[in-house]
Amino acid sequence: MSSPPSPLRGPIVEACEITRVFPMPAGPVTAVHGVSLRIDPADYVAIWGPSGCGKSTLLHMLGCVETPSSGALLFENRDVSSLPDAERSDMRLRKIGFVFQRFFLLPMLTAWENVELPQAEARISREARRLRTTELLDYVGLAHRAQHRPSQLSGGEMQRVAIARALANRPVLLLADEPTGELDRATGEQIAELFDRVQRDGTAVVIVTHDQAIASRARRTLVMRDGRIEREGIAG
Amino acid sequence: MSPLAFALRGLVRQPGRAILGIVGIAATGALLFDMLMLSQGLVLSMERILAGVGFDIRVTASQATPLSGPPITNMADTVAALAALPGIEHVVPLRIGEAQIDISGRPRDVTFMGANAAGRRPWTLLQGRDIEPQDAAVSPRLLINRNLAQRLELKPGATITLRGACTANSSVPPTVFRVDGIAEFPFDQASQLTAITNLRAFARTCGDAKADEADILMIASKPGDGPASAVEAIRRVRPDLAAVTNEELVARFQQVEFSYFRQISFVLATITLFFGLLLITVLLSVSTNQRLGEIAALRALGFSRKRMVSDVLWRSALLVGAGGVLALPLGLALATWLDELLRTMPGIPANLRFFVFAPRALVLYVLLLSITIGVAAIYPLRTVARLPISSTLRAEVVG
Repeated sequence: MSSPPSPLRGPIVEACEITRVFPMPAGPVTAVHGVSLRIDPADYVAIWGPSGCGKSTLLHMLGCVETPSSGALLFENRDVSSLPDAERSDMRLRKIGFVFQRFFLLPMLTAWENVELPQAEARISREARRLRTTELLDYVGLAHRAQHRPSQLSGGEMQRVAIARALANRPVLLLADEPTGELDRATGEQIAELFDRVQRDGTAVVIVTHDQAIASRARRTLVMRDGRIEREGIAG
Repeated sequence: MSPLAFALRGLVRQPGRAILGIVGIAATGALLFDMLMLSQGLVLSMERILAGVGFDIRVTASQATPLSGPPITNMADTVAALAALPGIEHVVPLRIGEAQIDISGRPRDVTFMGANAAGRRPWTLLQGRDIEPQDAAVSPRLLINRNLAQRLELKPGATITLRGACTANSSVPPTVFRVDGIAEFPFDQASQLTAITNLRAFARTCGDAKADEADILMIASKPGDGPASAVEAIRRVRPDLAAVTNEELVARFQQVEFSYFRQISFVLATITLFFGLLLITVLLSVSTNQRLGEIAALRALGFSRKRMVSDVLWRSALLVGAGGVLALPLGLALATWLDELLRTMPGIPANLRFFVFAPRALVLYVLLLSITIGVAAIYPLRTVARLPISSTLRAEVVG
């Protein structure tokens, strides 16, 4: 598969002491507390930790879905907090891919249409979309299922389509939130292999997981507890 | 995929709900369309009937409607004086009374009229030949309406005997008429029996042979001059008479007789619109709430807030649009049926329509539906526009 265009020299994401506080009726809850990290091009990072430790919130901040309550978050050297919502949406559309635990494929669209959709939103030409969608479905091994709707696919197949969709606009960063959480171990393993391949092909991958086996495949593992990065491990 | 195509696929995905919404809107839309037609229908219909009669001014002795007020006396002189006015082309004096006729051995009331109309006549001849003002034949001539012709199986050339019942104590012997023709009278009711002769025969039948009276003068102004200046001229020469143009007559109806229907149509249109609004709001809200995870995921994937909002608006537009288009033939069919029902009410001219299609009603209908599209989408739009992506995704996973 062709790699992301214009590789960066600097980090894709640089977080400096970012904190995210949610106001709650019973009092503010700090989900992420003073986290600093950087994601480089073609990086492979796993964020591992127990439920409720702030992994997903951190991932959403890295993906410009959430803005930090304090601290600085730079995406390709641009301060995310200062960007208006429309610009952050556009940044996500063109630079970031998301894979969710529950796939969130659009049930009324075929696998092909689900993969084509973000490209159409990015105003890619029809012909370019056709080529890219063919390439991606082939890449995830589902060319033969292109015209199937999500309800006609297995969980693993749905997640493959979701990964193809996330890669549709050639993102520099692929974020996955518990991508194997809904899958059995064997299927989860296949999906993890697909992430390995995406990373090898040049896209930075950040996976949030509580599955140690999945986390161990990454080059770096960030262990989180109570909203903080407790330690960072780097694979052999 | 455009927001329209996207919204269309979303509706097709849930055909049951989409059909329910479209049918609901079609039903409420049909009622709304009917109420909009009703709001101006009587006025438009009355305007058309009055314009179709061919006379644009009516003169009576008082502001009261004919028969309820006194007649115009010195009719011949009055007619001559008014006909001499420069803006007036035709003056037709008309008397309206009652007569009786035997149908199957039982006396039946007939609306009996007398008119001296030489050129233009306030009726339409359907068959046979017209009556003449100065017809001195032994057997006076008569025009009858279609109802009477059918009830008695009469054709032009037949004879008919009428007993005048113009006064309470009428003891005039019956008059034998020869039917010269069958005519349509614009203000006849659905089952009304009507006959018209000239003023001389009318007076004879009613037993007031010397009477020089008219209940109403039908006047046609000269083309180009317009009825307003003719009415001004009549008011100058005969300030004792009440002269009204068709336009003034319609305005009077609109203020008094038709205002009841206008109010009903306004109330029902408002209620209908409210229910349509409620239906679409509920459908859109339920559908949006079921798709919150999907919407949050699309937002995370980079779909703009504007795009997601336009998706909801398109869904609303498709539901209301499809239902609204279906409502038009449904509304027209319903209006035809209701019109037939209402026209059987006593005192309603058969030619009068309660529901009249007019471009104004259609424009107003489209405008109201367009507003419905927007207003019904407000709540779901607000939900989508304010959707917190992160917590929605989290809630979907936890849920």
